[in-house]
Order: sequence, then structure tokens, then C-alpha cells
Amino acid sequence: MNTLNVQLFDLTTLLFGGASGTFIAAMYGKKETLARIGTWICVAAAIVSTAALGVRWVESYKMGIGRIPVTNLYESLVFFAWSVNLFYLFVEWKYKDRSFGAFVIPIAFLTMVFAFTNESGIQPLVPALQSYWLHAHVITCFVGYAAFAVSAGVAVMYLLKARQEKAKAKDGIVARFPSSKVLDDLVYRAIIWGFPFLTAGIITGAAWANYAWGTYWSWDPKETWSLIVWLVYAAFLHARITRGWHGRRAAILSIVGFLSTVMCYLGVNLVLSGLHSYGG
Amino acid sequence: METVSDVRTDSASIPAVEKRERAKPASTRIWNFLISVKLAIWIIIVLAVTSILGTVIEQNQPPEKYHQVYEDWAYNLLDRFNLFDMYHSWWFLLLLCLFTINLTCCTIDRLPRVIRTVRKPKSILDEATEKSLSLTERWKSKGDIPRRMEDYKAALAREFAAPKVTEADGVVHLYAEKGVYSRFGAYATHAGIVIVFIGAILGNVFGFKSYVNIPDGKEASHLDARGGKEHIDLPFSVRNNRFWLETYPDGTPKKYASDLSVMENGREVLRKTITVNDPLAYKGVWFYQSSYGQEDGATAQVAVSRQDGTPVRNLSLVPNEPVRIDGYGVVRGVNYEQDFQGKGPALQVVVEKPGRPASDLWILQGRPDLDRVRKDSLVFSFEGLTAKMYTGLQVAKDPGVNVVWLGCLLLTAGMMVSFFVSHTRIWIRLSPGLHGKMEVTAAGSANRNRSAFEKTFASVLAAVRKDTSNTDKENPA
Repeated sequence: MNTLNVQLFDLTTLLFGGASGTFIAAMYGKKETLARIGTWICVAAAIVSTAALGVRWVESYKMGIGRIPVTNLYESLVFFAWSVNLFYLFVEWKYKDRSFGAFVIPIAFLTMVFAFTNESGIQPLVPALQSYWLHAHVITCFVGYAAFAVSAGVAVMYLLKARQEKAKAKDGIVARFPSSKVLDDLVYRAIIWGFPFLTAGIITGAAWANYAWGTYWSWDPKETWSLIVWLVYAAFLHARITRGWHGRRAAILSIVGFLSTVMCYLGVNLVLSGLHSYGG
Repeated sequence: METVSDVRTDSASIPAVEKRERAKPASTRIWNFLISVKLAIWIIIVLAVTSILGTVIEQNQPPEKYHQVYEDWAYNLLDRFNLFDMYHSWWFLLLLCLFTINLTCCTIDRLPRVIRTVRKPKSILDEATEKSLSLTERWKSKGDIPRRMEDYKAALAREFAAPKVTEADGVVHLYAEKGVYSRFGAYATHAGIVIVFIGAILGNVFGFKSYVNIPDGKEASHLDARGGKEHIDLPFSVRNNRFWLETYPDGTPKKYASDLSVMENGREVLRKTITVNDPLAYKGVWFYQSSYGQEDGATAQVAVSRQDGTPVRNLSLVPNEPVRIDGYGVVRGVNYEQDFQGKGPALQVVVEKPGRPASDLWILQGRPDLDRVRKDSLVFSFEGLTAKMYTGLQVAKDPGVNVVWLGCLLLTAGMMVSFFVSHTRIWIRLSPGLHGKMEVTAAGSANRNRSAFEKTFASVLAAVRKDTSNTDKENPA
């Protein structure tokens, strides 16, 4: 029998699945009502997952090992999905457009499904993780990751939309997307939100490493990959701002950036070895 | 759209630039190469791609380990390009140098220009400027320019920012701007990166990283430096009073702690219990809890008493180290058995008395009286083994670390400013029109987030027009 927090996270997974299905159905069926339902499911998922994080936090205190619920792979995955969902709701509210949902919410859903296959118990914190830096480091990193996920989702939309606009076609789902100009702009905007957060994430990680081990940078694979991600987005920003890289090339760079983010986040733990505990 | 048009000048119409480029002297061409954003992007991409190698190939492992993984030819190839320690290789450092040079040259090239435009803004809305701006609005108004000027000035100051007033040939130009500091954001970020590098170099040159194991109750001031450098002698020493660890009920480690004292000239000057995320610092040298272990060769605790039971002393016997007991002889612990002939833990002791052959005996733990039967002047009883713990401390001195943090702060602040603060400008020109009327021309520009500025521009102008038309009524001309 799972504890309450895990049951709530399982419910969140179902909600994300429902929202993804609803958004995709709305896109194919061109039903605005369906998309509106999708939004409300996302709101419900936001409430349930926030509650789940809170409950998990409280449960950890009841077990006598109280700590923030972002310290192993399971927790980091649900926290990532939580961030993506909130970032999505913000974008939807800001742009008054629901077509993004079909491209962004499935990322949250798949993340939760992956989390579901992982060990979900609350483990105590090993000494290395007992630091206030943990909070600042993890939260900044994951807000950054979430922004990059949204940017990549929108970049895929852009590529589809731009191809259709070029062909001067006006039918199908893609016709219902916002204009390629709006999408292109959003790819960029999500990145300028994510980039400072990633930067802050790398710096807080360095500060923490310095406080725990006396070295702020040791070229550990995780550190190196976070730098690679940072460099990819730095290249994106320079190419865009000073060399006018818009549209297709910018969208592809955004997708490359997100792939390297996934490598940094999961690949390093699953494939390479290093200092970051989760995923063992 | 949030592009920065002003920085774009260096890359506009690239083919034409390249054609002109060939006609220039070599020094100019090298300079133009060093200041180009193209170079910056290439360096960034090369850094990113090559960095991947060092995450796939494990770094700084002993050669034997590599030989297990790689064929000889692959080993030689990787070794030739320093790929087993690539982040400190000459070519990677060269890339970082080139990156720094590129950043510095970009700043030297562009910053003075930005300072000039910031200090001497284009405060006159001439025709060329007007044409270059997409946001413009025109209207006619009553009244003569010298009197109305103050109204417009006050209104613009109220609604947007205090304007600079320039009069030329009977035409009045008002110029107001906000967020001009955002022009420096990118330079702050770039300077931040260079400062981080400077901090890292300072740390490498003037600092050290080392490691020391200190057994319980011992002190150390002599450190072995890493990376082939010679050892370091601290001007003070650190005593490990005690190391201990705590575990959670399920056995996972909860806390590693060392009670440390800093000793200077034989006096304790500082005492602190350090844990993994809570180091000790003294005179710029930091001690971090990093590992622990049991010392090789546990010590055996042996109580010595007379036949009548009066205690004489307690011995801590390190394997094979003789301990002298005055007026008796020399005692050595030589062997230990967990279970001696089914009677539990026991210690084998060798006793050497002057002028007699050495004798050896086994003494059992938990049987303190057994040795009495030997009828010797002293009785030994074994009280058990104590394994001494040692604490493993990472020791670091890094005089550059605060420079690194300063760089990080500048980098982040510059980034926030350059992404989220827009340099917005509004011009209002009052020029004489027909029939004693006044022609008002307004224009605006923003270096980023133009769509948001379009709204600001419209609402500022609406408010300015409203403010100035109110004064029309109050003070009819």
C-alpha cells in the first residue's frame, strides 16, 4: 500500500494523461470546449500535485527525516512535471491560447509515467544533501528545465506551422496553432526565462559544492553537462540576438538545447557516473 | 520581437562586409576576427561539443584502468590528445583563452560606443531619426511653442520620464528615456565571465587543495598536496578530538562529524565540530569533512594490576610496538584472535624481562583473573580492542573564490538586466505649423519587448495629449 503522497502523485499522472488526451483530441476535433476541459484538468493536476508535494514533505517529518521532497530521482521527476505544468498554465494564461497544451502537457505526462516506474519511498537524506543550498539549487535548476521543455514543445509546433505556412495550406490541426511569429517569439521567451534560472542553478550548485567539498567546479559529468546545456542556450541567444537567427534554425537549436537538458538531467545519472545521487 | 537592433550593426549584410574585409590590412582583419560574434558562437559550440568527450571518457583514472577499457591504439590516441585529463589539457585551456580574448575584445570594441550613445543620446528628433523609428504619431495643437513647451515637458515627466529639452531654429525637441542601463547588461555578463576566470586562476596560483587523514586524538599540520606539487606545512595544526558517525534506524548514514581543534603555538585557538555541509575555516584555510575510516591495526586495551588487585596502569598496545613498564620489562601485543579455543576474544602478549628469555601468553577478554595463575609480579587482563577512527579532511585554500562569486553575481545581474529591462525612448517634437498652430510629432523606440512598449507608447501619448489639452482649456490662448 502506497502512502498518501504517492497515491496523489498517481492521481496526478492520470490527470496529466487525461489532459494530454483531451488537448490532442481538441486539436484533432477542433473543439474549443475540449481544450477548455484540458485546461481545467491541468489546474486540477496542479492542485493535486502541489498537495502531494506538501503531503510528502509532512510525511517525511512524521518519519523523523523531514526534508524538502526534491532529493531523489522519483521526487525530482514529479517536481519537474509539476514545474512544466505550472509554466504551461502561465504561458496559456499569458497568450490566451490552448493549442500549446497538446505539445507541452504530454512531456509532463511522460515524466510522471517514468516516475511511476521508479522507487517512490521517502528515503532519508544522506549527509552530503543536508544543506540549505539543496533548496535553492534544485528549484532553480528545475524551473530552468521546465522553461526549456516548454520552449522545445513550442519549437516543434513552430516547425509544423512554418512548414504549413510555406506550403500555403490552411487545413488540419496545424492551422489552429498561433502564427509562426508568435510561436517563434515564445520559443525565445521561454529560453530567456530558463537561462537565468539555469545559470542560478549552476552557480548555487557550485556554491554548495564549495561549501561541502571545497571545490566549486570539478568537471564532474553532471557539472560538465550543465555547462554544455548552458553553452547551447548561450549560442542560441547570441545567434538570435546578434545574428538574427529566427524561425527554423532557432527552433532546432531550442530542441537541441532541450535534448542536452534531458541528457544532463537523466542521461548523466543513467549512463555516466558522478556526484549526483538520484538515479544511483 | 525582442531583438537588439543596435548590436546588430556588426553583422548586417554579411557578404558585403566580407568583401570589404579583404581590402583591409592584416591587423584590422585579425581584430575584426577577434571581435566577431561569429567567432564567439563557434567557440561556444566547440567548447560544448568537446566537453562531451570528458564526460564519456572517465577522467584522471590510473593508466591500468584505461588499459582494461581501451585497445592500445585507442589508448595512445586518447592519451596523445590529453583526453584522460582533457579539461586541463593545453588545447582546452587554449580554447578558454581564446574565449576570454574574444569576450574582452568584443567589450573593448563595443563598450565605448555604447557609453558614447548613452552619454550623448540622440535627443533631437530629426527627419532621419523619425524615419528610422516605426512608432510615430502626429497631431496639431493650439498655442505657441515657447509657452506650451513647459506643459509638454511636465506631462512627459509625469507620464514617462523627465525629458531633456533641446531648442533649435524655433523647434523644440523633448527626449525622455528609461532603463538606459539595460544597454550595459550584456557587458556586465561578459565581464562576469572573465572575472570568474580570473578568480579561478587566482585560486590555482595562490591556493591549494589537499587532503589529510587525522586519527582520533592526533593532530596534523603537514599536508600532501595533490597533483605532484610538494607538500604543504600549515602555520598551525588541527587536532581531531573525535570522529563519529550517526545512522538512521535503517542504517543509512545520517551524520559524519569531527570535533576539531585548531592549535597554534601549543594553544587551542578554535574548536568546532564539523559535518559534511559545515566546514571549519581558519586563516583562509578550510577543512571539510570528506571521509573517515578505521586505522590499520587496532589497539588492544590491557589493564595491568598487582597480585593483590591494585591497578598499576592501562596499556594501549599497538601491534608489535613494545611498551616498557619500569621495573618490570617490555610488553608487546603480537596477536589477536576473535575466538581463542572457543573462549572468546583473546590477545597474545610477549613479555621480555631483563636477563630472561621472552615468554608469551594468551590473555582472554572477560577473564580478568586468569593471568593470576602465572604468579608473576604483575597481572595482565585484556579489556578488548579499540579500533581507532580517523577522519578524512579535505583541506583547501582558495583566495580566488570570492572573486568567482563576484563574477557570478555580475553575470547573473547583467543577464537579468539585459533580458528583462528594456531601454525605452520617447521623443516629442514641437514645430511651428500653419495658422498659428503647433505641430506635434512623437516617436518611440524600445530595444526589446517592442510589443509591450507599443502599448506603453500609446498610453503615454494618450495621457500626454489629455494633460496638455486640459491646460488648453484652463489657459485659453
